[in-house]
Amino acid sequence: MRLGSASLIGFVGIALLLVATCDPAKARAQEKKARTVPYPGAVRPTKAPPPGPPGPVPRMPDGHPDLSGVWNGQRELPGDSEPDMLPWAAALTKQRTENYSAEDPEARCVPGGVPRATPYHTQLVQTPKLVVILFEGNIHTFRQIFLERTEHLKITEPLWYGDSIGRWDGDTLVVDSIGFNDKFWFDMAGHPHTTQLHVIERYNRRDYGNLDVEVTIVDPGAYSKPWVQHRLATLETDFDLTEYVCNENNLDPGHLVGDTGGK
Amino acid sequence: MSMGDSQVRALSGKAVGMSAVITALAVVALSSLPAHAQKGQNSGSTHGAVNSNLDLSGVWILSGSALLPSDPSYRPEALKLYNERKSGGGKDDPEKFCLPDGVVRVTSLPYKIVQTPKLVLLLSEGNTHSYRRIFLDGRPHNLDVEPTRWNGDSIGHWEDNSLVVDTIGFNDKSWLDSTGKPHSEALHVIERFRRPDPGHLNVEYTLEDPQAFTKPYSFTRKFTLVTDRDLREYFCAGDRFVGK
Repeated sequence: MRLGSASLIGFVGIALLLVATCDPAKARAQEKKARTVPYPGAVRPTKAPPPGPPGPVPRMPDGHPDLSGVWNGQRELPGDSEPDMLPWAAALTKQRTENYSAEDPEARCVPGGVPRATPYHTQLVQTPKLVVILFEGNIHTFRQIFLERTEHLKITEPLWYGDSIGRWDGDTLVVDSIGFNDKFWFDMAGHPHTTQLHVIERYNRRDYGNLDVEVTIVDPGAYSKPWVQHRLATLETDFDLTEYVCNENNLDPGHLVGDTGGK
Repeated sequence: MSMGDSQVRALSGKAVGMSAVITALAVVALSSLPAHAQKGQNSGSTHGAVNSNLDLSGVWILSGSALLPSDPSYRPEALKLYNERKSGGGKDDPEKFCLPDGVVRVTSLPYKIVQTPKLVLLLSEGNTHSYRRIFLDGRPHNLDVEPTRWNGDSIGHWEDNSLVVDTIGFNDKSWLDSTGKPHSEALHVIERFRRPDPGHLNVEYTLEDPQAFTKPYSFTRKFTLVTDRDLREYFCAGDRFVGK
């Protein structure tokens, strides 16, 4: 089943433009109103999402926290700074945002890459040597984090999810990833990156139902300094991943017509 | 399972090798046995503390053909659909649209099994580069939220050194192999995963589909352990994507 997330933006942007009637004055007013709709991805949260259920942190037999569970995405927390982009990256982001994310790869059923958060659920499955992230959507795929390897592979062909290795810093799982292609966007706003991308994620299950994720994006090819984001994933206790199949009846590309200038 | 050398070379479409990861799998294999297996629920176990027959973890690749060995005994309606698909030359093959293979159909690219006491994951390199989950926590089938799915609803339990997986709740869109063998939503798949030795995995399939078959259909596939690499990235839609 395909439920388009990007469609929502397309509908908001397009619907307001299409309601214009034959009356030119009214049409202009409608268009002006449409322009006040925030560009996708340009809205930052003003408050934290509701917390997940309390309780003690589950632990593996080896004593490390067990991050396993079905998590309600990763939602941005308020207060993070905007990224310091190099001029080309700022210009590209502006162009993508103002075009209502019409070219978002995510809407074409390609991987979201790292560290894009989706509105869908994820399941973490942990063994002593491996953490697997199962994505419900955008595409129903997986990412592996290798806990016993201390050095990255030699990447000869850039990857959507890169090469991820993890280590424990106390109770925090620190995941270091490199080897990315430059095709995916970080978010719906269209923040870009280069193949120099290096992502550090710090996962801290602070209690039973709350997983703090601090993401640091390092990419000297696109950003003048590291971009730090703080997110919260909350545990789902009565919801399981569904079988989300992006390529099944995907209507997003047809809806993502971009900024039509009111036409 | 060979512990292999520890040299890691590359992880990419055309590159070779990740034997260290396979080593990791071996270690995982030895350290993550199902708890109930360790408690002796598997009464046939005489292998001491570590019984490799009960750990399916590893990267596996199909030995032999991905096609079913013969045609199921089809009812007339299903046979008609099968013949239509065959005459269509595969133009409607879901795989060509980057849609899931389902449970019965396999690719010649590797699969990885990740095993925990309550959940087994089957990760697929090919097709949609997706996953299957087999729940071992004793839950019954649950089709409330999604009555039909490409992969159905899979629950498993251990029985005589085999992981027995019971799956229902299928849609009728998937093909049982690339020739277009159909099935209905009544499909019921029983798989018995057994690791007769560290390097081999046998899967016995029994397919029941009273709406499409006149009788159950059974066959066995054999998989071989891959020791020189982990799964590589393969994205069906990604390969076709031309974007900025």
